[in-house]
Amino acid sequence: MAVTTRASARPKRTVAMPRRILVNPVVRTLGPFVPVVLLWWLLAELDVFPGAFFVGPDTVVGEFAELMRKGVLPGYLSDSLTRLMYGVGFGLLIGLPLGFAIAMSFWARRLTWPLLLFFQAIADIAWLPIVIVWFGFSLTAVTFVIVYTIVFPLVLGIVAGVEQVPRELIRAARSLGAGRLRVFLEVIVPGALPSLASGIRTGLGYGWRALVAAEIIVGTSGVGFMMFDARRVGDVAEVFLGMIVLGVLWYATDALVLAPFERATVERWGLVRQAEAGK
Amino acid sequence: MTALEISGLSKDYVDAYTGEEITAIGDVSFTVDRGEFVSILGPSGCGKTTVLNIIAGFVKQTGGTVKVGGRVVDGPGPDRGVVFQSHALFPWKTVLGNAAFGLRMKRVPPKQREATAREYLELVGLAGFEHKYPHELSGGMQQRLGVARVLANEPDVMLMDEPFASIDAQTRRKLQEDLTRVFELRRPTVFFVTHDIDEAVFLSDRVIVLSTRPSIVREIVTVDLPRPRTWRETTQLPEFRHLSNRITELLTGGAEDVHPAIDPD
Repeated sequence: MAVTTRASARPKRTVAMPRRILVNPVVRTLGPFVPVVLLWWLLAELDVFPGAFFVGPDTVVGEFAELMRKGVLPGYLSDSLTRLMYGVGFGLLIGLPLGFAIAMSFWARRLTWPLLLFFQAIADIAWLPIVIVWFGFSLTAVTFVIVYTIVFPLVLGIVAGVEQVPRELIRAARSLGAGRLRVFLEVIVPGALPSLASGIRTGLGYGWRALVAAEIIVGTSGVGFMMFDARRVGDVAEVFLGMIVLGVLWYATDALVLAPFERATVERWGLVRQAEAGK
Repeated sequence: MTALEISGLSKDYVDAYTGEEITAIGDVSFTVDRGEFVSILGPSGCGKTTVLNIIAGFVKQTGGTVKVGGRVVDGPGPDRGVVFQSHALFPWKTVLGNAAFGLRMKRVPPKQREATAREYLELVGLAGFEHKYPHELSGGMQQRLGVARVLANEPDVMLMDEPFASIDAQTRRKLQEDLTRVFELRRPTVFFVTHDIDEAVFLSDRVIVLSTRPSIVREIVTVDLPRPRTWRETTQLPEFRHLSNRITELLTGGAEDVHPAIDPD
């Protein structure tokens, strides 16, 4: 009785106005960019740098409209995304089974660990010279580099994830009648998921960067190629546009694919602490 | 009817740091009848959890046999469900999914396993929480689910490894009373590891007292207290105090070790 009285007597906490604005998802996403764009615009308007080196937001927006109208940007974008999808697809196809195979076997881990560390150390772009010799300036060459960059963080993430699965959970499943395959599917795979998800996140990030680098070097199309080609002809606006497109695309990948996946799995299961920002 | 028969159990292991061979369990034999609640108590480091792990099939014994329902067992199996101190619930499964896990492994049809799981969830007081995830439950509720998950699977024996040790004192009392109630209602066979003398006496039909390492069975104390038991009534019985004192003596007296206390953790 006393407890209820006390609880209801406590004044309800009202959410202050500024805080309510801060929790609005649109404000939360775009808000931080407002001062950046303002500063950018100001720098351009005040002519701090010569126009040939530095253009304002208005010029870039104009460039964007122009390239969209001509169909250049959509074409390059779809080229880049297609390459990324191939790379990620093959990367997952190779990385997932390889990761679990290595993680599940003590001897496989023992034998492959030095190799993994060795090949992880060779930067993705460092492969390009030999890859171009082997595959020429082709989609295969780009895919190879992306696959390479994705597989390592993925495998390392899976191995770490499998090691983190509490032994008691496996024991619990065994004493409830689960056989080896069931333990793998019902305990080890979901248990490794937080680490696997961060492996995919890291891998995708590396893959995305590798793609742009590969396009700059071997490219005949794509966002990376577009930027480097624009530099050649001195079109700074197009270079700026390319950079912004890369940022926006990564943000979209995170917000539309990675974050929802994590919310539906590891966060829902309480395996990672949820982000403070009112999720 | 003997549900669990342990004979001549021993366990040696090599210490990972010093490299010396240690005999954790010297020679342990006992039986647990069907529908009986038996606890095992012993001084710190006497290997009572090792005994449970051997019965569960998680650890291989050096010598002796474990028989469940007359059959020698080797490796973990659904005939010996385990309730862990750490709860060990599957975080990615709902309360219902956890409770129905064993039945799913047995390929019980969905309708039937859901009905059984719900029945046991209700028994332990988790009705209405079926679609929550374990992390949304309190520690006490998580362990209720741990018990329901094992009981729903109807094992020959339920093994409990200090299940309430990580739960706050007040909740622990309530859980012990509820476990007693469930036991009195359903009469599962229970083998219970604890370091809490009062808990052992309150819950059990018999208490196995182990010696210090290398452990042997020092004595098996029969607890002939009336059921149903509640903390308020049972602790007032002179017999309860008497048994509890007697076990304390068994644990402290005779040990070369000066440690009077039992396992503090």
